[in-house]
Amino acid sequence: MSSLLRVILAIGAFVALGVVINRVKKGKIRVADSIFWVVSAAVLVVVAIFPGIAFFFSGLLGFLSPSNFVFVVIIALMLIKLFSLSCELSRQTNRIDELSQEIALHNKKTDGD
Amino acid sequence: MKILAIVPAYNEEECLESTIAELTSTCPDVDYLVINDGSSDSTGPICDSLGLNHVDLPINCGLASGFRTGMKYALRNGYDAAVQIDSDGQHIPSYIPVMAEALSQKKADVVIASRNLAGGGAVGARGIGAKLITGLIRFASGQVISDPTSGMRMYNRKMIEKFAKSFDLQPEPDAMAYLIRKGATVVEVPAEMRDRQGGTSYLNFFKSISYMARTCLSIILFIWFR
Repeated sequence: MSSLLRVILAIGAFVALGVVINRVKKGKIRVADSIFWVVSAAVLVVVAIFPGIAFFFSGLLGFLSPSNFVFVVIIALMLIKLFSLSCELSRQTNRIDELSQEIALHNKKTDGD
Repeated sequence: MKILAIVPAYNEEECLESTIAELTSTCPDVDYLVINDGSSDSTGPICDSLGLNHVDLPINCGLASGFRTGMKYALRNGYDAAVQIDSDGQHIPSYIPVMAEALSQKKADVVIASRNLAGGGAVGARGIGAKLITGLIRFASGQVISDPTSGMRMYNRKMIEKFAKSFDLQPEPDAMAYLIRKGATVVEVPAEMRDRQGGTSYLNFFKSISYMARTCLSIILFIWFR
């Protein structure tokens, strides 16, 4: 992994951590939902500071380069998060539908009285 | 002092009736509001047939949202204090007047019923989790909350308004650290509690892990950034 990539990774990680914390602070994301992002950004910061971790795992798993390993991990994490967001979106859609139905039926009942 | 007992109930058909009966006979001066949090069992019909003062959330929104519903009700109906009482019979209503007295005498914003001060407290894994939270709160606020996971907490008017209007302020241990840091007075009174009298706990293994993660991260974030 080139030192330039390391520096970019480190800056990116710090910026990401800052953005996440700023959003929590401003009340734009609930703490529960921010855990994934805070932990991911913190791990990235750690890897940027101690690149030996990436070297160790990429050697262990037979990656051609530690940067490939880092990219694969990030892509995998993104896919997992994307899927869980899709699931959550389905759940929210269903809940909004249910609320609309409840309100509609409730209004009908109140009008009828 | 006008006190509201907020009783969140999610699938608590087994215990709700006896909990409310005990509450109204022990503390006839205390009003209560049952929050039926989208229960799928007969909690809703029980509330209707017994004529309990209750609201029905059309879908299950979780404890925090249910509790907030109660806080909004307390705010809109001019209550001086609100206390959370679990519907499973864990909390003993005779402590409500004791907590109310502490609230007014010590000019406290929050009064927590502490099992630890009464010689009890969570044991096993829960006890370790609670100790960890106590340590974190102490680190964040400088104050020792001996029983941070106690669900029986009483709030004054100022806190009712805060909980009713704030974003992501949940009736959980991390909120105590936050409120103390914001200048609120939090005191504890010794209180005994029973085991839950029926139904199943809200927290299973994975929920416990994510509960701990959320609570700890939240306290740490509060320390540095909120």
